[in-house]
Amino acid sequence: MTQLSCPFCGPRHLREFEFHKTAPPEVATEFARVYERIDRSDISDEHWQHVGGCRGWLHVRRNPSTGEVLEIRLVGGGGPP
Amino acid sequence: MTRPVPSYSAWALLRARFARDGYWRPLWTGRRLQDAYDVVVVGAGGHGLATAFHLARDHGLKRIAVLEKRLVGYGNVGRNTTIVRSNYLLPENHYFYEDSLRRWESLSHELNYNVMYSPRGVVDLALSDDEVSGLARRGNAMRLAGIDAELLDLAALERFCPELAPRRERRFPIVGALVQRRGGTVRHDAVAWGYARAATALGVDIVENCEVTGVRSGGGVATGVETTRGYVRADRIVFATAGHTGLIGTMLGVPLPIETHLLQAMVSEPIKPLLHTVLVYVFPGHGETYICQSDRGGLVMGGHLDGFPSFTREGRWDRLEDVVEGAVELLPQVAGVKILRQWAGTNDMTMDGSPIIDRLRYDNVFVNAGWCYGGFKAIPASGAACARFVATGTAPDLIRAFRLSRFATGHLLDERGGGPFPVRL
Repeated sequence: MTQLSCPFCGPRHLREFEFHKTAPPEVATEFARVYERIDRSDISDEHWQHVGGCRGWLHVRRNPSTGEVLEIRLVGGGGPP
Repeated sequence: MTRPVPSYSAWALLRARFARDGYWRPLWTGRRLQDAYDVVVVGAGGHGLATAFHLARDHGLKRIAVLEKRLVGYGNVGRNTTIVRSNYLLPENHYFYEDSLRRWESLSHELNYNVMYSPRGVVDLALSDDEVSGLARRGNAMRLAGIDAELLDLAALERFCPELAPRRERRFPIVGALVQRRGGTVRHDAVAWGYARAATALGVDIVENCEVTGVRSGGGVATGVETTRGYVRADRIVFATAGHTGLIGTMLGVPLPIETHLLQAMVSEPIKPLLHTVLVYVFPGHGETYICQSDRGGLVMGGHLDGFPSFTREGRWDRLEDVVEGAVELLPQVAGVKILRQWAGTNDMTMDGSPIIDRLRYDNVFVNAGWCYGGFKAIPASGAACARFVATGTAPDLIRAFRLSRFATGHLLDERGGGPFPVRL
C-alpha cells in the first residue's frame, strides 16, 4: 500500500494521510469507543485524515492481510460537490 | 523415552570428539501432540517458550505443550532489533524491565546456551534542552529505583561514543544524552533456541505447524483448544501470541484494547567494527532511528511503526527511507553502505503502550500479550512472572499493573503520555 485515493484530491502518496484509529461499531459504549478495537485480519474499517491535503476525515475499508483498499468515503457520508 | 539433551561445556566438546555420530542432536524435535495437557501454551515465540520453561522448571508441571502455528522463532522473537534495556519512566514498567534485565545478565548460564548478552549501553540522544530535561526526569526516576542511568553532556558523550562525534555540525545538533550502560543487545534467535532447548530438556512438547483455531468450553471454563492437528484437552491455556492477540480476542469474543501494527527493521551489509553501542535518535519531522552493529558487522536499524493496522509483514518503503535518513544523519560515514535485508513484524499495540498479562474470558485462559514494540527485552521476566501466575492463579506483584481491567478503572500505564492511540508521530 503506497497510495490512498482521497474522494476530493484523488490518488495521493500515503505520507499525506494519517491513520487515526479503527472505526468503532455503530452502537458502542463510550468506553468501547475510546479503548476497544475490532481487530480482524480480513477487513479493517478505519478513520484516516488527509492531513497533507484537504484535511478531510476519511472512512477507509481495507484488507489488512493484503493491503488492498476496498472502499474510501468521507466519514459521515457526503462528498465532493 | 528420549535421551537427555547433552549440556554444553568444554567437557561435552571433548566427549563429543570421541563419541559416536549422533552425540549432538536437534535442540527440539518434532514431538507428537498428546491428547491432553496440564498447560497448553499457544505460540512458540520468546514469551511462550519462556513461560513453558518456567512452568516446567519452577513449578514442576509435567504435561506442558507449546503449540506454534509456524516454526519456533518465526515471529517477533526473530524479527526484532535485539535491544535490551530498562530505561522506563513509570515505576510499574521500570521495575518489571529491570527484573528482566537482571535475568538477561545470567540467562546464558540458566539456559546453558549462549544468548550473547552484550551490555554495550543504550544511548538516548537529545536534540534540545527540553529533551534533556525529559531524559533527566526519566533518568532520575530510574536512579530512584536503583537502576543505572547517567545523563551525559557533550564531552561525556564524546568520550563514551567517539564514533558519533557529537559535536560535529549537523542539521539537528545533539545537546545531550541519557545512557544506560547495562542495556545493550542479545542475540535474538539464540533466545528462542535456548528456551526451546531448555524447555524440551524438561519434557515440554513443542509442536510446530499446529495452529490453534478455537477454544472449547464447558461449565464456564475452557476445556481445550481446537487445532489444525485436532482437539487437545487442556486444564489451562496461555495465549502468548503477541502480534496476533487482537485476533485471539475476536476468536474468544472479547474485544481487546489492541490494534495490530507493523514495525520494520533492516540490516546493512557487514562492515568493520564502527559502532560499539546502541543509539536511539528521535528527530523532528520524520521520526526515529535506533541503530546498533551486530557481531557480524551489519548495522541493525529500526524506527517508528508503519502507522496503520496490517498483517502483511511488508514494511512501507517511505518508513525505510526515514530510518536510513536518520542513520546517515547520525553517522554520515555510513552513507555509502548498502541495506542488505529489510523485514517487518506484527505488533500488538495496546491503547496505553504497556503489556497485558491477565485472564481472558475464562478463569483458566491466560493472555500474555500487548507487548507493543518492546516485547523482546521483556522475555525472561515475562516468562517467569506469567508462569507463576498460571501455576498459582495469583498474579505476582511485578505484573499486577498489567491487568486488562486497568483500561476500565483508569490505571493506565501510558509511558508516552499520548492517550489511547498506538500511533502519534
